[in-house]
Amino acid sequence: MKHLKPLNGKAAQTEAAARAGKLEEVVAMQTVAGCTATTDPGWEVDAFGGVGGLCQPMEADLYGCADPCWWPAQVPDVANSYPDWTKGADSAGRDWRKLGPTFPEEK
Amino acid sequence: MARALSRALALAALGALAAGCVATGGGTRAPGAGDMMVVANRPNNLHLVDLGAQRVERSCALPGPPTPGVLTLSPDNSVAYIIGGGMGEIWGVRLADCALVFSATQTQGNERVRTLGGITVSTDGKQLFIYQAPVKLFVDHYEVQDTRIAVYDTSAGTHALPARTLPAPRQVTIMKTGADGTLYLGGPDIVAMNPETGATRVALESRDRKSTGFGPRDVLTVWNIGESSGEFVRMYSALRWKPGAEGDLAQGEPVWGYEKVDLASGKASEAVLGPLEVTLFTGMTRPGRPDQFYATLTQLQRFDVPNARLDRSVDLEHSYYAIDFGTDGSTLYLTGTFNDIAIYDADSMTKLGNIVLPGGDMATGVPKIFRRR
Repeated sequence: MKHLKPLNGKAAQTEAAARAGKLEEVVAMQTVAGCTATTDPGWEVDAFGGVGGLCQPMEADLYGCADPCWWPAQVPDVANSYPDWTKGADSAGRDWRKLGPTFPEEK
Repeated sequence: MARALSRALALAALGALAAGCVATGGGTRAPGAGDMMVVANRPNNLHLVDLGAQRVERSCALPGPPTPGVLTLSPDNSVAYIIGGGMGEIWGVRLADCALVFSATQTQGNERVRTLGGITVSTDGKQLFIYQAPVKLFVDHYEVQDTRIAVYDTSAGTHALPARTLPAPRQVTIMKTGADGTLYLGGPDIVAMNPETGATRVALESRDRKSTGFGPRDVLTVWNIGESSGEFVRMYSALRWKPGAEGDLAQGEPVWGYEKVDLASGKASEAVLGPLEVTLFTGMTRPGRPDQFYATLTQLQRFDVPNARLDRSVDLEHSYYAIDFGTDGSTLYLTGTFNDIAIYDADSMTKLGNIVLPGGDMATGVPKIFRRR
């Protein structure tokens, strides 16, 4: 981590956890507390920096990545906060136009 | 485009029904004859598919969405246990009449529990093992709890609670049961657990291994495939260092390999499969042919295991996450992502047809194939 500088509080805590030898606890959050701690970049590029290795078409991969919280930034947290985001849109290839934005509910 | 694709798949399925048969030692029969597949898709379907007839025999309604849809079968193949409801619910469905014979809501009180793909049944069918990742929700903060395996009595019916729990390592995603009852946990390494005592040992080192000549491994472990070849199996990718240039990322050669445990003997093994030319999500040994390893995503590839080379690669009509074989190894099935099952002849790697499931996407749903008696 010596070449990385934390830009916010969470990143600083991650760095502190690494120094304390507790980084595993932070990494494990990805399947514990929902989507927001996963850091997979999503569908922009593949492992080679191109797009040839991505799923074809993109819609084939949409629910397979949204359901297990693989894409935290691009789609809502369907495991916890917005479980009905895909309701009524059973086929991502056919129904993607039905998938809308989500907004936090007022408490 | 979607409409055109559906039409093409329907035509392909019709063509397959009239298409050729496979030659077997006992004569000629339809591909997949006698084999059945259990697979789930949106919105809440659990299908029993007759692979020989290439048709859906029965569709059961699940209590909720099959997300992630990872499932396992009882030893007698009569009940399918599936993770659903956004990783929070476990349902057991009797395939003969679609009756819900088991259910468990993992979240209890302020402890929210999720399971990605860790589900397996004991060899006697009496215990259901679920890998649980709990977190306690408080007013102003969350507290991550220790991960564990919840052991349910399969006769507990609906609204079941765990009979006991066992401490388990973190970051486990899939599980399988060996012939001697050992649980195999797929995570950073493959860990073997005695489900009676909870004692664990590392069956195969992956993340923690110190490889000579290779960089660290990357493993995608979401699909609990491999029953038809009797293996707990997953693929890994790694950089093979150029001699004299260890650690040089620019000169390293990306390769695919496999890590597996023979479920009958408990023996763990691993090997380099060949060059990493395309992204692959799942792969497994062809039943009866330990020298052949097949894998899929947007291509279907066959690796020559003894010679560690890519034998053949064919482009697919769209990406499929999961691969599985019919019980005799002559036919393979590609599933996941959309709602069609692609059928391929394992020898020629030519397409035999599609079975289109009523409903929507399978997404990460994992099928199970068994031979009906």
